[in-house]
Amino acid sequence: MSAMLSVRDVSAGYGGRMIVEGVSLDVPAGQIVAVIGHNGAGKSTLLKAVFNLLPGRRGRVRLGDTVLDGLAPQRLLAAGLAYVPQERSTFPKLTIAENLRMGAYLLDDAALIAERTERVLALFPALRARLGQLAGTLSGGEQRMLEIARTLLVAPRAVMLDEPSIGLAPKMVDTVFDTARRLAGQGVAVLVVEQNVRKVLAAADTGIVMEMGRIVLADSAASLRSDDRVARLYLGAAGRAFSAPAHP
Amino acid sequence: MLLAVAEQVLNGLMLGSIYVFVALGMMLIYGVMHVLNFAHGALFMLGGYCAHLVFTQAIGNYALAILAAIVMLIAVGAVIERTVFAPLRDNLRNQVIASLGLVLFIENLVVVLWGPNALQFRIETTQAVVSLGVLRFRVQHLLIIGVCALCVTALFLFLQRTRFGTAIRAVAQNPRAALVVGIDVVRVHRVTFAISMALAAIGGALLGPLFLLFPQMGDLPLVKGLAGILLGGMGSIGGAVVGGLLIGVIEAVSTLVIATDYRDAVTFTAIVLVLLLRPQGLFGVRTREEA
Repeated sequence: MSAMLSVRDVSAGYGGRMIVEGVSLDVPAGQIVAVIGHNGAGKSTLLKAVFNLLPGRRGRVRLGDTVLDGLAPQRLLAAGLAYVPQERSTFPKLTIAENLRMGAYLLDDAALIAERTERVLALFPALRARLGQLAGTLSGGEQRMLEIARTLLVAPRAVMLDEPSIGLAPKMVDTVFDTARRLAGQGVAVLVVEQNVRKVLAAADTGIVMEMGRIVLADSAASLRSDDRVARLYLGAAGRAFSAPAHP
Repeated sequence: MLLAVAEQVLNGLMLGSIYVFVALGMMLIYGVMHVLNFAHGALFMLGGYCAHLVFTQAIGNYALAILAAIVMLIAVGAVIERTVFAPLRDNLRNQVIASLGLVLFIENLVVVLWGPNALQFRIETTQAVVSLGVLRFRVQHLLIIGVCALCVTALFLFLQRTRFGTAIRAVAQNPRAALVVGIDVVRVHRVTFAISMALAAIGGALLGPLFLLFPQMGDLPLVKGLAGILLGGMGSIGGAVVGGLLIGVIEAVSTLVIATDYRDAVTFTAIVLVLLLRPQGLFGVRTREEA
């Protein structure tokens, strides 16, 4: 199986201090790869590193045949890699329609934008009735859905979601992971970083456990669900659940 | 009496229009880039001198002179943005200090280039007087109000209706999200600065022929423009427009009741009252920044 999004030996951090060290992973088209681990394990930093938001990042990232290293965000989006950061990324005083239009900022073809917007609204019917409403009036969960919906306007080949369930009501969490599943169903490679281990492993194909900036375990989501070390991790056991890194 | 009030209201709208040019420019830059540019008044003044230079030395056509002043100020602004404000990004305090330094630099540069004495900027055609019913006004007054209305409308349509205008609003609201959807934030900053400079140039070039050109002519419009922003409420374009116009009208109408010397005091008393009673301004909403 060839990977749509391929991450090789990526190291990154802030101000010379490495948070992520030598991470390699593959996300095949149509699959969800979940990165789990404790707070501070470097999960979010990994996504920022892949999206070239951290200066001094090392390693290689490819999307299909396109080498993404050093490309500015506009170029990454044009290549087909979308990213939904953990913090809110809607524009609160723009309408939902305008937020979607900003999702298609890089596109010039009005017909194409209209067609894709139509497809997005078919997938997210709740947004259609509220197109003229300001995004800031939506609930946290609805704004998260808007953020994910917005990425579809660039017809991404891979989408990275950073803690999509954070701060959401349980019902909304299910909706978010259903949506991730549907994205994968359309052939998109989904890389998701998540604290809600139980939910994300239920939705994902593959799970990757990170600790102290390294990958310590990678397996199918099904077998990770029955792994008691992972159980301890998601039950909130403090400290290191794994004795030694898998890739020393 | 009624006639005098109507006359002063129109005078106030004219003065207010000048303040609107300053207020809009400052607010755009602050809203989008979080740069508080106190040199805006000095740049406004420079716009007047540039228009004067082109008008007297080159073309002798007022409209073209204003256009030339716009181009010149955009160029000056581009240099300032890149060399002064961009390196100080996210450091509001140092930007304020730097912009105050710029005021001294620009005003003294003008003294070096044009001398310290006030210049006359006579445009024969706009000195003509027109009658509006019983009221009589100079063409220049109506020109200022008209051009201001035109600029405000154009700016509003640009921000509301175009993709790039929407992107400017998006950057103002959530710069990190703007990056994620592929908006070129640096370019948005530069275009915003250019728009702000164009407004300053138009304002300076329009005020010049009304009074005289002198190196400090931008100081009061700067303070009054700021007052207009406070009055209207920080962060709203409509607020800056109404606030700027209101300051002009309050100032002009007050001269009917109180000695003209006190008109600045009247304006600032009004601001103090607004800040005491409605600190968010007339149209502002109380907001707390989300982390």
